[in-house]
This record gives sequence, C-alpha cells and structure tokens, in this order.
Amino acid sequence: MKRKKGLPSYPGSRLLHVVLSILIVLESIAIIAQATFLARAITLLFERTPISNVFTEITFFFISFVIRYSLQHLQTYIAENYAEKTTSRLRNSLVKAYFLSRNRFVQSAGTGRLVTLAMEGIDDLKKYLEIISIRMLRTGIVPLAIVIYVYTHDSISAIIMIVTVPIVIIFMILLGYAAEKMADKQYDRYQVLSNHFIDSLKGLETLKYLGRSAAHAKSIRRVSKQYRQATMRTLRVAFLSSFALQFFTSLSIAFVAVSLGLRLIDGTISLLPALTILILVPEYFSPIQEVGSDYHATLDGQVAAKEIDAMIKQEAKRQKPTSHEVTWTPSSILQLKGIDVESEKATLLKDISFTWKGSGMIGIVGESGAGKSTLIHVLTGLIDPKGGSIHIDGKNRKTLKSEQWFQNIAYIPQHPYIFPASLADNIRFYVPDASDEEVKRVIKEIDLDVFVQQLPNGIHEKIGEGGRTLSGGQEQRVAMARVLLSKKPIIILDEPTAHLDIETEYEVKQVMMRVFQQKLVLFATHRLHWMKSMDHLLVLDNGRIVEQGTHQELLSKKGTYDEMHKKGGYGNE
Amino acid sequence: MNDWIKPYLKQHKGQILLSILFGVLGIGSGAMLLFVSGYLISKSSLRPENIMIVYIPIVSVRAFSIGQAVFNYVEKLVSHDLVLRILENMRTKLYEVVEPQALLLRSRYQTGDLLGVLADDIEHLQDFYLRTIFPSILGMAIYTIFIIVLGLFDWIFAIMMALMLGVILFLVPIISLFITRRDYVALKKRRHTLYRQLTDAVFGRMDWQASGRTSEVIKNFAAENERLIHFERKIRQRKHLRNGTLHFIVGVIVIAMMVWADFKTGQGTISPTVIAAFVLMTFSITDALLPVADAVEEVPSYTDSIERIQQIDEQPITQKQKKPVQAERHPYKQATLKLHQVSYRYRDRHDKTIENFSLHIPAGEKIAILGKSGTGKSTLLKLMSGVIEPDEGEIIVNGTTMHSQYLSEAVSVLNQKPHLFNTTIGKNIRIGKPKATDEELWRVAEQAQIASLIRTLPQGMDTPMEEMGQRFSGGERQRIAFARVLLQNTPIILMDEPTIGLDPATEQQLLTTFLSAAKEKTIIWVTHHLAGAKAMDQVIFMENGTITMQGNHDELYQSNKHYQRLYQMDQGTD
Repeated sequence: MKRKKGLPSYPGSRLLHVVLSILIVLESIAIIAQATFLARAITLLFERTPISNVFTEITFFFISFVIRYSLQHLQTYIAENYAEKTTSRLRNSLVKAYFLSRNRFVQSAGTGRLVTLAMEGIDDLKKYLEIISIRMLRTGIVPLAIVIYVYTHDSISAIIMIVTVPIVIIFMILLGYAAEKMADKQYDRYQVLSNHFIDSLKGLETLKYLGRSAAHAKSIRRVSKQYRQATMRTLRVAFLSSFALQFFTSLSIAFVAVSLGLRLIDGTISLLPALTILILVPEYFSPIQEVGSDYHATLDGQVAAKEIDAMIKQEAKRQKPTSHEVTWTPSSILQLKGIDVESEKATLLKDISFTWKGSGMIGIVGESGAGKSTLIHVLTGLIDPKGGSIHIDGKNRKTLKSEQWFQNIAYIPQHPYIFPASLADNIRFYVPDASDEEVKRVIKEIDLDVFVQQLPNGIHEKIGEGGRTLSGGQEQRVAMARVLLSKKPIIILDEPTAHLDIETEYEVKQVMMRVFQQKLVLFATHRLHWMKSMDHLLVLDNGRIVEQGTHQELLSKKGTYDEMHKKGGYGNE
Repeated sequence: MNDWIKPYLKQHKGQILLSILFGVLGIGSGAMLLFVSGYLISKSSLRPENIMIVYIPIVSVRAFSIGQAVFNYVEKLVSHDLVLRILENMRTKLYEVVEPQALLLRSRYQTGDLLGVLADDIEHLQDFYLRTIFPSILGMAIYTIFIIVLGLFDWIFAIMMALMLGVILFLVPIISLFITRRDYVALKKRRHTLYRQLTDAVFGRMDWQASGRTSEVIKNFAAENERLIHFERKIRQRKHLRNGTLHFIVGVIVIAMMVWADFKTGQGTISPTVIAAFVLMTFSITDALLPVADAVEEVPSYTDSIERIQQIDEQPITQKQKKPVQAERHPYKQATLKLHQVSYRYRDRHDKTIENFSLHIPAGEKIAILGKSGTGKSTLLKLMSGVIEPDEGEIIVNGTTMHSQYLSEAVSVLNQKPHLFNTTIGKNIRIGKPKATDEELWRVAEQAQIASLIRTLPQGMDTPMEEMGQRFSGGERQRIAFARVLLQNTPIILMDEPTIGLDPATEQQLLTTFLSAAKEKTIIWVTHHLAGAKAMDQVIFMENGTITMQGNHDELYQSNKHYQRLYQMDQGTD
C-alpha cells in the first residue's frame, strides 16, 4: 500500500504549522502555569493556610486551566478549518481532473473508484489532516517545554523522564515489528477468513440452487470461530505495543514519585516543586501516548492522500486543449494516422490508420480484448493516443479531447446513463432549451409514444434512480432521442444491443437505422446483423487493424473476419 | 434494535462483566497511582524519621503503575474476544434469517447487493460494541464506584459530586445526542445529494461533455460541496462548544474537590496528606468519563445498520412451503416436467406475472425460452425449480408436485452470474456434491471442457479462484459453474441466460459444450437471442406471462413471419 508519510504539505500548510507551533508553545506555558498554581494551592492548603488566603492561587489555576483548553480548542479549530479548505479544494479538483484530464491513469481508475475517492477518500484525508499536524507538533513541543521546566527545578526527575522516552520507542518499534511480521505471515489466510462471510452471502443464491445453503450455516460458524482465533492471536501481539507504552510511562511516573518522596524525606527538595513535577509528569507523557492512537485513521488518510495527489498531479500536467473550431459536415474527412495506445502492462492499440469522408456507418469488430473499446475511447476523446495523429479536414489535432469535438458527437454505450430527472429533461439533455413539442416529436420518431401514454405524468415522468426504471430497450431509445433532438452529426456506439432480447433488439434496430441516416456512425459490435448494414468494417486483432472493407469483401477474403464469423456459428447455411 | 443488541449482551453477561472488571481495575489503578503518589509526596514532605512509614506507598505506587498497564491490556483482549464471539453469533443468525428467503430477497428489494451491505452492517456493529456500548458501561461503573467511595467519607459531598459528574456522564451526552441526531439526519441528506451529483457527473460524463455543459456540472458540484461543508462546520462548532463545556466543568470539579478536602481536613476527618491525593485522583476519574460523550454521539451512525438488519428479520417468509412427500426421494435418471395451468402473482403486483401457463416437457428435451424483459421468464424458472410455488395450477416432476427439496436432486440451475467462491477451483466444483471423488471431479471438468485449462495450471484443481479472477474469462467462469452443475447429475438443468455478455464465438463454444455434455438431460434455457435455436427441440416465446409462439425451429421458420424476421436478423441474413 502506497502512502504519504510525514507532515502533510498543501498550500498554506507552512503558515498553519507556524501558527500551531506558537499556540502549542503558549499551551505548554499554560500547562506549566496550571500545574504550578495547583501545586501551590495544594501546598498552601496542606500547610493549613486558611482557604480564603489561597483564593488567588485557585483563581490563577482555573484561569490557566481555561486558557489551556481554549488554546487546545483553538488549535483544533484552526487545523479543522485548514483541513476543510484543503479537502474542499481537492474534491473539486478531483472532479475537474476527471472531466479535463487526458491521462489514461485518471480514465482507467474506473468511475466507481473515482466516486469513492472523491467522497470517502476525501473524508479520510480530512480526518487525517485535522489530527496529524497538531499531534506531531505537540509531541515535539509540549514534552520538551515541560522537561526543561522540570529540569530547572529538579534534574533527577527530568533525567528519569528523558530516559523513559527512548526505552518506550525501542520497545514499541520491536513489538510493532513483531506484530507486523505476525500479521504478514497469516495475511492471506486472514483475508480468506474475514471475507468468507461476505463471500457466502454473495453466493447464497448459488448455494441455494445447489441445494447446499442450509448445510452451509455450519461452515459459517466454523469459519467465524477460526477468524476469531486468528484475530486474537494477532491482537495479543499487536496490543503489546500499547501495553509497553503505558507500562513504561506509568512506571516512569512511579519512579519520579518515589524518587521525589525519598528526597523529600532527605530534605533535599521541598513539597511545592515536588508536587508541581508530579502533576507535570503525566502531562509530559500524554502527547507521546496519543501518537500511537488512531492508527487506522492515519493509515487511511495517508493512502487517500497518495492517490488523490497522483490524480491531481496528472491534471496539472495536462496541455491546453486544442481550440480549433471543429464542425463536422457531410464532406468532412476524418483521418487516423498510426495511432498507438499503451497501458502499463500492454500495447492496446498499435498503428491504427484509417480515413473516412462524410457520413456513413463504420463497424469496429473483433473478439473480446482485440481493442474495440480502446479505439472507441480514442474516437470519443476519452483517452489520448500515445503516438500518431488525428486529422480532421486535414488539420492535425493529436487528440480529440476538445469541447469542439464533444459538441459534434454523441456517445452511446451499452447502458446509456439516465439522469434522475424527467423523461423530457433526459431527452433534451444536450439541448436544454428545446421545447416540450420538440421533445414529443422525437419521442414519436423513436416509437416511444405508446410507452409515454402509459405514464401518469407523460413526458414529465421522473426516470432514473428514485424514479421509474427503464428497460434496456427504452434506455437505448432515450439515447437515440437525445441524438435526434440535438442533431449531432457523429454517433459513436459501443455494443448497444448485445444485451437486449431479440425482439427488442429488432425494434430498436429499426429506430436506430432511421436515426443513423446522414450521420457518421462509429459502431463497435459483435452482432453480425449490424455488420451487414455497415458501409465499412475495421477488423481488430491484438490492437491492430488486420482487415478492412465491407462485409462481403471481407468474407471473400477468407481471413480473420471469415474465421471469426464461422466461430460465432454463423453462415452455416 | 432489541433483537440484534440485547440478546447478545445477555448471552455474554459473564464476559462483559469480566471486561468491565478489568476496565475498572485499569482505570482504578491509574487513579490510585496518582492518589498514592500525591499521598507519598505529602507524607514524605513531613520528613518522617522512619522511611518505613512511606514504604507501603512506595511499593503500591509501583504496583499500581504496573497494574494499570496490565489491566488495560487484559481488558482490551477480553473485550475484543467478546466482540468477535458476538460477531460469530450475529453472522450465524443473519445467515439463518436470510437463507430461507435468499431467492426472494432480490425481487423484494431491488438493491442488487443487499446481502453485501448486510454483511458490512454486521461488521460495523462490532464498533458499536467496542466504541459505544463498552465505554459507556465502563464509564457508568467508574462513576458509581467513585461516588460510593466518596460517600464513605461524606455523603452530602458524594451527592454533589454525583450531580457534577452526572453532567459530564449523562446530561451533556444526552443533550448532544438529542441535538446531533437531527443534525446527523440532515447531514446524511446533504451527503446523499452531493453523492448523487457526483454520480451524475461521473457516470453521465460523456453526456455532459457532449452537451457542452461540463463547466456547469463542475460549478454545481462545487456549490453543493460548499453547502455540505458549511453544514459540517456547524456540527463541528457544536462539538467544540460541548467539549469546551465539559472541560470547564472538570475545572470546577477539581476546585470543588480541593475545597472539600480542605474543609474535611479542617474538621479533622481526613489528614492533610490526602488533599493532594484526592485532587490528583480527580483528574484521572474525569479523564475516564470524558470519552463517553463522544461514544454516545456515535449512536446515530449505527442506527442505519441496525434498522437494515432488523428489516430483513421482520420480513415474514412469504413462501410457506408445504412439506414434500418424502417417499419419492430416489436418484432420478430421467424426469418429465409438466406445467398445468400455472399462474403466479407477486404479492406487491396487481397483475399475474405468469398466467395460465401449460407446458409438457418430456425427458431429455431441449427447450429455449425467449421474451422481452419483464415477461416472466425468470419467474417461470423459479417456479420450475420449486423455489416459489404457483398460486394456481401445478408443476409435476415425474408424477410428484415440484418442491424446492428437489433442487440438486431432480433439478439444477445455472444462473446468469453464478457465484464462484473464494476458494480453490476444485472446491468450487465440489460445492454441489462435497463427497464427490477426484475421478468424478475430473470427469465433469472434462465434460465442461475446462479440464485441459486446469491441467495447465501449476496447482491444478487446488488453484485459488481469487488469483484467477483476473485470468479467467467470462466463458471459462461459466464452464467451471457448469461443471459444478454437472457434478450434481440431475436429469433437468435450468439455465438463466448463462451466455449473456459473451462474444458470439465464446457463446457458440459454450453452447456446444452444454448440449454435448447434457445429451440425456432436459435443458430449459432462457435466452435473449436465437443463437443455438436450431439445436433446440422447442423454441418458446413469452409475453405477459403466457406463450405467444411455440414450436421447433424449422416449423416456426416455415410458418411464422415474425420468427422468420427475427431469425434472419439474428443470423444477419436479413
């Protein structure tokens, strides 16, 4: 797991650290003052001074007590505000990066991952930023201030306090190391045990169909027990480090107390400094004890920080999008020259070259993993090719990621995204100012009017999450309606009908063929009947175009396409 | 929340008491460490002639310091062990509650991954015990003991202390719980809105870009984010106010303690040497009580989890099945399946999903069922597998009424996304029949045509599925699931679109495998297009719960225009 260690550095963090340091120094003074006044008050009372004469000490104790906690709250408050500002900015940048970045890393992270990162990841980072700076600075400043003060009164106690720290650190490192090793050793097994329950529930339907679900209850209990035993074995060691921390610090307090006691008997020290020191010793250790707590919050925060940074850094590097005017006309020419796309592991597209003029239907075919989707992503401008160039009407534009290109295209995946809004607003998504009449007109054109008539609110019925769920065929029709209404000249589709049942597919196809008239259609599919309707086919294999031409031309070539065709069980007649 | 919290507290009373005992001993040792230290120093400052006078304090200071660490360590172990035991029971209980209704859950709750959510909820409840319940009980125990001890000296002061500490332990947490509960609900709403916007932005990204409205969506998101943050800030400020109040009260309590100790010394009831002791100890007592407010404030974050689990629990099992006739339980070689005027209606729906459906399937027949989404194909499969019972009509397998008991004996099911468990390939196949021999295992792997692939793996059948998750293609995963079904060796196999999402070549190969491995068996195959229709004995089209077209491929192709058109499209010959 990659994580970002050390004090976090974001814009404004230096100022934050300076302000916090000053406040913490002041707090240290308040802690010492509080201890001193308390010790004085107690000493005076011990000497049987009438309580009315101790009033000043008690008042000053209370004032320093209040100041101390006010300063503590102020620190937290400042750190929280800083965390809030930073993470709010990061959250917005993340979303921006997702829209504007041309880097594969951001695109390939997956939409789900991005949502989690921008919500939970940012929250983790926020929690981390709220605590980390204060915690680290306090550990550096408070004990130091206290031990210096104690030293001026009693060097022996100061030495006991100082010596304890390296002992504690050494033990914690040793034990932490042992625990980590132990955890690593059984990590795999541990994972299996801890995921077994979720795995069982997710597979419950399957278990039920296999007639094994009732018998499986026993195995749930057994594995849960093994999980508990394994966890406890690890915890016994893991808790040892906090044990050591507490053991040595409280032993240290005891030593200081005993050594003070003995010297009080000797008369080498008087009650007031002794009591002051005794009150200060726990304060000395308390920041150190806090360092180890919230281990998970720290870890999660660091992991999130790393990931967010990586995403946003990519964004910073991005070039200005090309701002050439792009208007696709029936006589425009699209030209791909030697397009290469690579991921960390493999070459996804190699040397893709292809030219097309005006409207028409271009099929992109090939087996799973041949590079169809990657090519679609290049054409929609989702990812930038690593090499090669893209020309539109002769102008070189290296990438299609530009607002102008987006204006020209409509992209239709297997499941077009339906916004949680009314049917009409979904349809006029590309042209929000379209009137209800226009929406109704396209609804008719895509044969959705019968469906709309059944809706209680007609075209204003809410669809998408929280509203009426659409079937796969209806989703595709809404996408078609969007295209019709916006009059976009280019449609890019990725396997839009493969998941539909044949009757729906048949109906949707009729609608699509009407919509496709006079447009440039780039269409990735497995489905044979589409291929026959295409004006031109690009056959991909291992990221390269191995054949191109019309369906008939390719069949007669008896090459990859023909073979693919036969494997699919077609053309036996 | 009673069903999922209280019984466990009751059941584990002993261990809870033990954990509280160690917790009290730990905190008590810490308090006593300061108490005795204070006493030791005060006593020593009187410069006693004999060091033996402070010998006991010296020894006990060390004992308490060690005790504090040891007790805390033991307490942590005991409470974690306890929580894991509770988890063990909750898991088993949840499984037992969910298991009988497993196949109905999906249709009841729309949520795809409800079960995963429930599992997380149970996990989440661990923290409820560790971070809220136990600390609260422990705080209460410390409070009670401290007040009783004070009462031994002066019951009036004990009552005063009880009230002041009560503010820390009860009043402030309860008020803040009352206030934050509302805040929490509002905060959740805000978060949900932001989440919604983010999902819209991210999943509908191409549409935003195509509409040229990216800057709008980014701006909207930022504005909503600002609203959320503004709200979070309000909650935070309230928390500062609360904790500030608590600290203020602590200061007052310490002073009260000082004044009281002085007063008692003046009376001669206690010796001046314990003034320091009492005052110092007060700090560690209040330190132990302060976290309770935070612990209680977390309560609203658990209510969702508890409610969700509760909801499942309360759902009565709608499908009360009649007991099957026991006599018929013998291994079937062949089976005929008869559906006679079957109707079925889901309880929350007005119209029947399956209506007056009759079908006779002789042993060994291969049938394809097609239809648009929502026409009742999946319901029909559920009826045929005995998972649900028809409202009217009957389903007869070899002369006996169908019952879910026949699953894995007469009928097996290969569903759309069979779950492959996080264990080895071999164990995954064996789940259907745990006592199967290795030969049987390899035979079905052979029949499912996955054996040669398994042989190439270094660990063979013992290869963990998880590692392979990436390497196995969709087709290969289906083959493993198919081997599992074959191992059950039932005469009827129901298939619910097992090839959806696969490319045509893979689909064709799978189909060939299915048909050749199950030559003798009845196959009822729900599918969405016509690949393989020719190899079927019957093709059935459904609409609104009834059959609209039926016959074998050749008949239909000859006589039915609609079918002809569909088939031509499917084959690309239109």
